[in-house]
Amino acid sequence: MISAYLSAYHTHVLILIFIYIILVVSLNLALGYTGLLNLGHVAFFGIGAYTSALLALEGLTYLAAMIAAGLFASVFGYLLVIATDRLKGDYLAMATLGFSFVVYSLLLNLGEITRGAMGIPGIPKPSILGITFLTNDEYLVFVFLICLISVFIMYRIVNSPFGKLLEATRDNAVCLRVLGKNTLSLKYKAMMISAFFAGISGSLYAHYITFIDPTSFYISELILVLTIVIVGGLASIKGSIVATTVIIYLPELLRLLEMPSSVMGPARQAIYALILIAILMIRPRGLFGKVDLE
Amino acid sequence: MSLLAQSIINGLITGSIYALVAAGYSLIYSTNNFMHFAHGISVVAAGYMVYWLFTVTGTPFYLTCILTIFFSAFFGLAMYRLIYLPLQKRGASNVILLIASIGILIFFQNVIQIIFGSGVKLVGYIEVVSGVTFAGITMTPLQIVILVVSFIIFILLYQFMQKTKLGRNMRAVSNNRELASIVGINHIRVSDYSFLIGSALAGVAGILVALEQNLSPFMGTNLMIKGFTGAVIGGINNVPGSIVGSFVLGMAENLGILVLPSGYKDAIAFSLLFLFLLFKPTGILGKKEGRFDK
Repeated sequence: MISAYLSAYHTHVLILIFIYIILVVSLNLALGYTGLLNLGHVAFFGIGAYTSALLALEGLTYLAAMIAAGLFASVFGYLLVIATDRLKGDYLAMATLGFSFVVYSLLLNLGEITRGAMGIPGIPKPSILGITFLTNDEYLVFVFLICLISVFIMYRIVNSPFGKLLEATRDNAVCLRVLGKNTLSLKYKAMMISAFFAGISGSLYAHYITFIDPTSFYISELILVLTIVIVGGLASIKGSIVATTVIIYLPELLRLLEMPSSVMGPARQAIYALILIAILMIRPRGLFGKVDLE
Repeated sequence: MSLLAQSIINGLITGSIYALVAAGYSLIYSTNNFMHFAHGISVVAAGYMVYWLFTVTGTPFYLTCILTIFFSAFFGLAMYRLIYLPLQKRGASNVILLIASIGILIFFQNVIQIIFGSGVKLVGYIEVVSGVTFAGITMTPLQIVILVVSFIIFILLYQFMQKTKLGRNMRAVSNNRELASIVGINHIRVSDYSFLIGSALAGVAGILVALEQNLSPFMGTNLMIKGFTGAVIGGINNVPGSIVGSFVLGMAENLGILVLPSGYKDAIAFSLLFLFLLFKPTGILGKKEGRFDK
């Protein structure tokens, strides 16, 4: 009985880990590889989740809804770059953070579309080519495959000549412009790819939890994702994967302390925040980081 | 007509709370040049301090206020000495300090939630009385107190910044840190005082918020966004500007909901924040050589 409980529970945690790996690696693509400071990444995650959920409830097949989620999120990635291109440093940080606040308040206030604070219940489980992933074990396989494909694509991107250009944009944009490269277009592409995969992970999240509301895509979620990226290290996909696994698993040890559930949630959030502050103070490059956060 | 006048008065009252938050925030920003986002949690911690001292332990009200302001001031100083200063000594960039401050905000928000629970708390010092109606405008005595207290504090703060040696040193550090150290101003000492005074202002804001609204652990983020937005509208490195900006924000919110559904109150703030960051990052009264180009 206990072993059955544990395995079901571990399946759940593993599914979350695979979803977050996509989200974290996609943020690392923008923040770590391209040097695009983006504190609004959870907004793409939320846009993806809502797009996919709403389209699937309208009867669109899952695969189409998932792709649409990624594409719609990447449209917002494009808009975010247009809007914030002139800003640098803390102003850029605040504008991207402001972007996530704007998206949050839109999700909350566009009640006719998003049902506001009530959230969207009853999101269908995905079904592809006649196979519906009903149980968590099936979903785990599905999420693992999508995660593998997504990370593989992003791995190939950052190791391609295009990926080297992205890193050059981060390290010395002026020099790159002198060589005749269009750094603005590189930024657009990087942010759109990053937002696309964040949207995909949002879609996986929505169809796994089957209920979403705006609070799932707000500042505490942002802290989690930022913590993981920084702990893993900027510009390191390996670091992001290791850190996601460790950090999503770590607070689960709290369960051994048998706290009441009203303390569990905030205790977990507090631990994430503490890890973030500690890593910034002790080892700002994280586990496998190659560059510093500017 | 009286609806319009009432909205203007409501805007002034909301604005004066935002302005207290923004004044402390922008005082700290102008002398330290980084975003102390955790300023919002100083306000909330002060509010809960009032609740604990006055409502739970039965401390006399005026003693509660004095203790709360001291607590808040040293809470802010502790954040500077224990987290920001060590980070700065490691050569951390402003963005790292900003991310750390978001971490601090989330950490204490969850600690407060663990200690006091997530339900709202009521201080209940002033029993609800019917408002005073004058020329078709209704105000409660507490709202009049809020307006008067905050105006007195703004005048004192302005006098302090203009007339005292410490205030002049703060403006000198804010204007040119290097030059200020050359003429013998110890900028760490100035930063200590800016955190003490700025956080004491947060303490006053916390007391007024505790009296006027229900306390919730999550109000820090929202208060910080409002204070920050007010500061950006007026000019973030300019204390009087940030006060003016906060009143503009309070007005815009309260006049805005005359034409928009009331759910859009927060969206108005977010949109203003985003617009100002994009088109006028130095704010209405901010100095031209803001940190925009850095």
